[in-house]
Amino acid sequence: MSNLISLSSIKRHYDVGGELVRALDGVDATIKTNEYISIMGPSGSGKSTLMNIIGCLDTPTSGTYQFEGELVHEMDDDQLASIRNRKIGFVFQTFNLLPKATALRNVEVPLIYSNIPKADRLKMAESSLVSVGLGDRLDHRPNELSGGQRQRVAIARALVNNPSIILADEPTGNLDSKSGIEIMKILHELYAKGNTIILVTHEQEIAMHANRIITIFDGKIKEDRLNKDMTKAL
Amino acid sequence: MLSLFFESVRIAISSILSNKIRSFLTGLSIIIGILTVTLMGTLISGLDKGFDKSMDFLGKDVLSISRWEWFGGQDWWEVRNRPRIKLDYVDKIKSRSKYAEAVAPVMQRGASLSRGDLGARSQIFGTTTEYLKTTNYGVEKGRFFTNSEDRSGARVALLGHDVAENLFPNEDPIGKKFKIDGIRFRVLGVMEKQGKFLGLFSFDTQVIIPSGATQRLFSRRGFIRISVKIPGDKIEESKDEIYGIMRQIRGLKPTEKDDFAVNQTIAFENVYNQIKFAIGGVGIFITVLSLVVGGIGIMNIMFVSVKERTKEIGVRKAIGATKKMILTQFLMEAIMICVIGGIIGLTLATLLSLVINQFFPSVMPIWLAITSISLSIFVGVIAGVIPSYRAAGLDPIDALRYE
Repeated sequence: MSNLISLSSIKRHYDVGGELVRALDGVDATIKTNEYISIMGPSGSGKSTLMNIIGCLDTPTSGTYQFEGELVHEMDDDQLASIRNRKIGFVFQTFNLLPKATALRNVEVPLIYSNIPKADRLKMAESSLVSVGLGDRLDHRPNELSGGQRQRVAIARALVNNPSIILADEPTGNLDSKSGIEIMKILHELYAKGNTIILVTHEQEIAMHANRIITIFDGKIKEDRLNKDMTKAL
Repeated sequence: MLSLFFESVRIAISSILSNKIRSFLTGLSIIIGILTVTLMGTLISGLDKGFDKSMDFLGKDVLSISRWEWFGGQDWWEVRNRPRIKLDYVDKIKSRSKYAEAVAPVMQRGASLSRGDLGARSQIFGTTTEYLKTTNYGVEKGRFFTNSEDRSGARVALLGHDVAENLFPNEDPIGKKFKIDGIRFRVLGVMEKQGKFLGLFSFDTQVIIPSGATQRLFSRRGFIRISVKIPGDKIEESKDEIYGIMRQIRGLKPTEKDDFAVNQTIAFENVYNQIKFAIGGVGIFITVLSLVVGGIGIMNIMFVSVKERTKEIGVRKAIGATKKMILTQFLMEAIMICVIGGIIGLTLATLLSLVINQFFPSVMPIWLAITSISLSIFVGVIAGVIPSYRAAGLDPIDALRYE
């Protein structure tokens, strides 16, 4: 399998009130297509910073980041926006849907930014919602949906541009356990279909769904192991 | 890019609709600004049209000799004591002037008309056959009186358009009889319709009769003026000449002031321009003021809107919106508030101008509508650009974290 992502000596330092914070302090990792990776670590360990860098929301202070062979650390804002739009699907803990838009509209938005004609857009958005089991909720607004349903809309939005990687940041953090299991089931199905997934979590139990677990501590990778006892949420 | 533009419009509209009262209050000064500018423009262009039309039938190349200057604050008492204009001046001017193409006296007085049960108030113009040459309007049907009818004091009359309709509803007045202050006259013809002069008074309510009949039948009250038609390319020379002739007639010494007035329609134009500039000046002042106030209000509301939607901006950036797209979205929102305000203002102005048109000529010119909408877009861009730049420049991570 080819390297989808390769990170080498990634550092991300912040200057907070004159004090240097080493959020990431030399991270090396490669991620291949169709891996299901959990990034674990306590809060403040740097896992969110790593996730932001992988997600092209942030750029490293130093180090090289290659995404499908492209040098992300040299890109400008517009190129980063384009990578986020076409290659990365985000799933957030707090769903982050547009509150006034219907499910269909929410899923349609990334396609607008990638300039896809309206007729195609609607078709793609609808089939993405159908694929997460929300074919009957197209015209519902987020406040008319349950937490689990909202997160499924978010997943549909992440999938709609057929991204190379799905980044899920604590996707079950705001959900009850039953909805949480549903979401993990969907993620597992996506993995089974060949998608690459990175799951950021601080819960051991959730992390066990992945086939590789990377543990971050103090801005460095403490452990990077394959997970033999992968939980299959089915 | 086109779909992005529509998306921006759509987001803008839905954002405006979800804050209806706020958007309305914000747009109010834009509404007032556009209302003022279009209403002023409408009035001025209506005035212009009415004025041109009125000037047309008065004729720019006609001098009017009378005791009073039409405009100008002379001493009332001095004017009051000036000698009256006499009818025999007409022949004197005619014989001495080389420029005058036509000279006609106009003896004007109020009178009441009657025919059976029908009656009307009217202004009677006693004049000669040369009158037609000193105006730009003519006889619609029938004929004007002749010199011999004038000399013989024949009781014949030409009716203004409205008079004809009032006294002879649904019938042909030619050859029929009616009474002026109880004296029977025969209708020779009907004058062309004039409309209201500057919306103020109308020649359509006049009755024209020969000067011979006027002198014979009516007392001398009312006033008399003399209309002199002059060549359009020799206005100044003719005016000088007429002044000279009048001073001669009056026997004025070189040191004495004129005791008569030679009026020209250009005097209307000067006064008219002053009125126009006054209306325009006030209108522009109110417009600029309300657009500036409106622009500041919109800028303020846009800052609030950017702040409120920081999280949304973060989400949009995370799923691939570039700076330019975010900029467009917020700029469009500011523009939409202004354009909607502008359209409301324009609609109100159009409706108001229809109402005003009942009393006063007013027309909404299309260029004014386009200008006012462009003006609102301009205000929107100016007011929206700084808040939109702020939105576009937000860091996606900070924006996503914002609660």
